[in-house]
Amino acid sequence: MPIHTRRGHDGKTLIIRIEGRFDFSTHQAFRDAYEHGGTGIHGYIVDLSEATYLDSSALGMLLLLRDYAGGDDAIIAIENCNSDVRKILTISNFEQLFTIR
Amino acid sequence: MDVSAKESNAESAAASGPLKVLIADDSDSDRLILKTLLTRLGHHVLDAANGHEAVALFHSGQPDIVLLDALMPAMDGMEAAREIKRCAGERMVPLIFITSLSAAEDLARCLEAGGDGFLSKPYNRVMIEAKINAFNRMRLMHQTLSEQRDLMHERNRQLLEEQHVARRVFDNVAHTGCLDAPNIRYHASPLSIFSGDVLFASPRPAGGMLVFAGDFTGHGLPAAMGAMPVAETFYGMARKGFDGADIIREINQKLVHILPKNMFCCGVMVEADFELSQLKVWNGGLPDGWLVRSSDALFRLPSRHLPLGILSAGQFNAEMETIRTCPGDRLLLMTDGVLECSNESGELFGERGVRLAVEGLDTTGQHPFDALMRGIQRFTGSQKFGDDLTLCCLEMDYQEGLAALPEGAVPSILAGPAEWTCIYELREHSLGEFNPLPLLLHICMEVPGLRRRSGEIYTLLSELYNNALEHGVLELPSEWKYTPEGFGRYYSERALRLSKVSDHYIRFSFHHEPMQWGGRLRVICEDSGQGFDFQNHPVLQSTKMEQSGPRYAGRGLMLLKRLAESIRFHEQGSRVEINYDWYF
Amino acid sequence: MVDTPHLDEEALAELRDVMEDEFSILIETYLMDSKERVESLKEAMANEDSDAFAKTAHSFKGSSINIGAPRLGALCLKAEKVGQSEKLDEAPAILEDIDEEFQKVTSAFQALISRGAG
Repeated sequence: MPIHTRRGHDGKTLIIRIEGRFDFSTHQAFRDAYEHGGTGIHGYIVDLSEATYLDSSALGMLLLLRDYAGGDDAIIAIENCNSDVRKILTISNFEQLFTIR
Repeated sequence: MDVSAKESNAESAAASGPLKVLIADDSDSDRLILKTLLTRLGHHVLDAANGHEAVALFHSGQPDIVLLDALMPAMDGMEAAREIKRCAGERMVPLIFITSLSAAEDLARCLEAGGDGFLSKPYNRVMIEAKINAFNRMRLMHQTLSEQRDLMHERNRQLLEEQHVARRVFDNVAHTGCLDAPNIRYHASPLSIFSGDVLFASPRPAGGMLVFAGDFTGHGLPAAMGAMPVAETFYGMARKGFDGADIIREINQKLVHILPKNMFCCGVMVEADFELSQLKVWNGGLPDGWLVRSSDALFRLPSRHLPLGILSAGQFNAEMETIRTCPGDRLLLMTDGVLECSNESGELFGERGVRLAVEGLDTTGQHPFDALMRGIQRFTGSQKFGDDLTLCCLEMDYQEGLAALPEGAVPSILAGPAEWTCIYELREHSLGEFNPLPLLLHICMEVPGLRRRSGEIYTLLSELYNNALEHGVLELPSEWKYTPEGFGRYYSERALRLSKVSDHYIRFSFHHEPMQWGGRLRVICEDSGQGFDFQNHPVLQSTKMEQSGPRYAGRGLMLLKRLAESIRFHEQGSRVEINYDWYF
Repeated sequence: MVDTPHLDEEALAELRDVMEDEFSILIETYLMDSKERVESLKEAMANEDSDAFAKTAHSFKGSSINIGAPRLGALCLKAEKVGQSEKLDEAPAILEDIDEEFQKVTSAFQALISRGAG
């Protein structure tokens, strides 16, 4: 499975790790990950350390997560991007919506 | 025969349904046994004594299954098998060899000749029944697959046809506008009938151009759906004189409402002003735009905003970047497809490819559009472009006079008021925040006779308004705009003074009356600023063109003189009265 | 030779079951067919055509086994091998055995039919 979830140390953060290509085929699994992540979640971290590729449908999925997590009030960080992934996020100026580190 | 045997025979006929079976065996007794066996199983049997007969019966009888003795005189089993398989063509007719051969090479030869299976002698009733059933299932499965495949082909063909029809409607809305203007070169290559990429261009009523390039998420029809409302908005607002920032704001708002949360549109909006030699650019999510100056210097325009359709109206930033240009400067716009072209080894063209193509210009003297297209074609070789590929190049071209507005959309045929008066006044902070020109133009367009003259009317109103605002209210010297240093100063001062506007107003009064020969529109524009010395203004007293002057920089006045029937100044110049006549 | 019966009772019972009323027709067909085959074997031997000899023996073998005459079938196998190895000098002896066996089988079948017919 290319998607793994776990809770952060504080118990209130859901960390979703994506391996390989983050594209349209990941759609359902990603959605399941955050919709069934459990209760008491206050923030999300999307760990892209093992993601090799990101396309516009992945950006769309991040927007869906943001909407699910409260829209403007959502707390979502995107972490550990490689340079290609970073580039895509930068061109789209997604750091205006997500914390990227 | 006892009851149970009868029942089991009925069952086996039901299991495979009565089939037409062709058998071929040179031994009369064996043939008789097999024929009887199969008949008792409920099948209809055609029997042949040799290969020739077998082939002939296959042609005439069209059996479902064939049982063939491997060794026969006069065209042996293998030869007959080949003939039969050839005759069957695409239809799957299982062919079972009956043989007492056991050597592996012999059996292999049978399979090579087209055999699907084997039956051994002596005949075993159970074996025969089982094989027939098994092969029949295979035959039926193949038949189902063929039928489904044919059905899919047909459905596919229908879908494509529907798409072609839809495409024609689409083209009437999301048309190419003025992309065929001499100063624009472009390439749009969708993979499918519908593309996620759009490219629109429209001249502006008072001169200049607007260009929009967009890349919707996804491919095909769902991606293209968003393009139609965007096209309507773009062309509709451009025609009315709205500027790039207003249009991009409206497009964003529209997309936020109609697109699902995970869909958006990366886009670039360009507002080209050839008079002022400047470009305004808004880039949200597309690759860098490249400004190739006539001096071959390069200037990049990166994406600074989120793509369209994500942020709500309150959060959306329509601020455009302003760049001074010279005639001959060229702006290259492109969508993702250009960067994502790949060659045979799977490498991407990328930003590097663009830079190489564009930087090598001074040596070849090529047009940047051609250089980039050549670069892409050379890189991809025989590869077909993998993505929707859109590329556009706009040249900063000084245009005399007004561009003709394309007849893109359906012109209104509504009747309108003949004689009317309208007063519109903007005060204080609204002066800075709101551009009244599209609305004022709209009011004038209610007169059918004025509809074809929207360009001239817009220019008139625009000149009046801008001068009233910039010279009357803000008191900015226009000659600043025409020097490189003064340019930046002009716009920053403008922004500063607009924020401090108070006790000021601009008032437009319109009066239209029908005449025998057509109609007359009288426009009066008053502002709260200081006037100017119109008695001694050189342009007003002569026909010579002046480049500078205190107010009403020469060009503007020339334009007004040319367009209007008459111009009169009152109140120290802070009140201008213009008569515009139109003829049937 | 092992004590193989001339006729395989079990196989015959099966055949009777399948053929029902047409059992006797089958036997007659077989006997007629086989007479011709024996003739063909003799002809092939006379013409020194080992290929034809082998093929005819193969066919004869098959139908004999099917009909339930195993000993005859085994003899035909031997004849087939003789033809395949082109040792036609051994053919006369084999043919004699086949002829003899065939006579016995024919009588046995005729007895069977007259008994069954009743």
